[in-house]
Amino acid sequence: MLSVSGLCRLAGAALVFSLSMSVIVEAAPPQSGLIKSRQDKLRDMGGALKAIDDELKKGSPDWDNVILPNIDTLQGRSGYLLTWFPKGSGPESGVKTYALPGIWLKGDDFTKLGKAMQVEVAKLKPVAASRNAGALKEESFTVGKTCKACHDSYRSPDYEKENDD
Amino acid sequence: MSVSDTIGKGNSASQESAGPLKVWDLPTRLMHWVLVASIAICWWTGLHNQLEYHLYSGYVALWIVLMRLYWGVVGSSTARFSNFVRGPKAMLDYARTLHRRDTPHVHGHNALGAISVLLMLGMVLAVVVLGLFAVDVDGLYSGPLSTYVSFHDGRHLAHLHYRVFNYLLVVIALHLLAVVFYYVHKRHNLVFPMISGHRKAVADIQDEMQVAPLWRFLAGAVVVSAFVWAVTTSFYF
Repeated sequence: MLSVSGLCRLAGAALVFSLSMSVIVEAAPPQSGLIKSRQDKLRDMGGALKAIDDELKKGSPDWDNVILPNIDTLQGRSGYLLTWFPKGSGPESGVKTYALPGIWLKGDDFTKLGKAMQVEVAKLKPVAASRNAGALKEESFTVGKTCKACHDSYRSPDYEKENDD
Repeated sequence: MSVSDTIGKGNSASQESAGPLKVWDLPTRLMHWVLVASIAICWWTGLHNQLEYHLYSGYVALWIVLMRLYWGVVGSSTARFSNFVRGPKAMLDYARTLHRRDTPHVHGHNALGAISVLLMLGMVLAVVVLGLFAVDVDGLYSGPLSTYVSFHDGRHLAHLHYRVFNYLLVVIALHLLAVVFYYVHKRHNLVFPMISGHRKAVADIQDEMQVAPLWRFLAGAVVVSAFVWAVTTSFYF
């Protein structure tokens, strides 16, 4: 059983720990949560596109359980993509991000590319409704090209060098 | 006469004559230079995110490495692993004479060159296999076998593919340095024989390359091509 002095020491240690943790929490850059969330959602989109492409390679793709839910993920995410890049969420935030400053310097072009992707993603479901694997493969390829167009211009080449996925 | 037996005996000036001696057969030379080209293309296309061509050049590199492994077993004498892969003692013996200029020109790969050949083939194979499982974030040109791994694992393998390729570049740089060293220090031109197939040497009958028939190469090429094609389809056929 702890003595009174032991309890005091324990309480003191807990106080010091909680104070130091609050300092750490306060020290975290304000955009870190947003950037992390943005990266997670972009990974979700990459994973969804991969799941669709992988399924289409099979002789009899599972439209209802694999392809359509992943199209939903792409549509859900892409609809908000342009809101994930508020000013201040670039490298100047102090958070590790591969988003290049051009996103904010050439905002019109970035928005144009983002909207082009939304247009192509929106075509996936009507094409999938036809259950035509070849046509959907073509459309998912077009979606991938819209991703690449943005990545080529607005993502740091360091992304390929570092293992952050 | 083994590789290690020839080291340190006689001098190159008295042993060598103007007579051309076959040292590399056509398949070995073609595979060498096509591999050089495919690695250069893989490097450039990888750096510039031209992954469509990166994939094609990667398939060529895979084909070459598999064919070279096959040719190392059934090919012409100087291409066969059993004729140039030596134990540690032979390698050390050879390494001890490396600084000397009077050592004879080894017919085919020398004992240290064997390490280079095995290391490079192994590393190219490792890079290619990692690439086959690598995921392209844009979903355009993922490796054909990435279908068997998750997005997360495929990205991890893509990064590993990049990292091992950088190690391969170091090994290639060492290989090129060795070629320059042999030319400058030992006066042995290693590049010309890899182009022409011949080198100047004593017409020693024991050094004559035993040429494997071309049909054997073609038979292997059919099997390896079928395998590489199967890989490109993700084994869905």
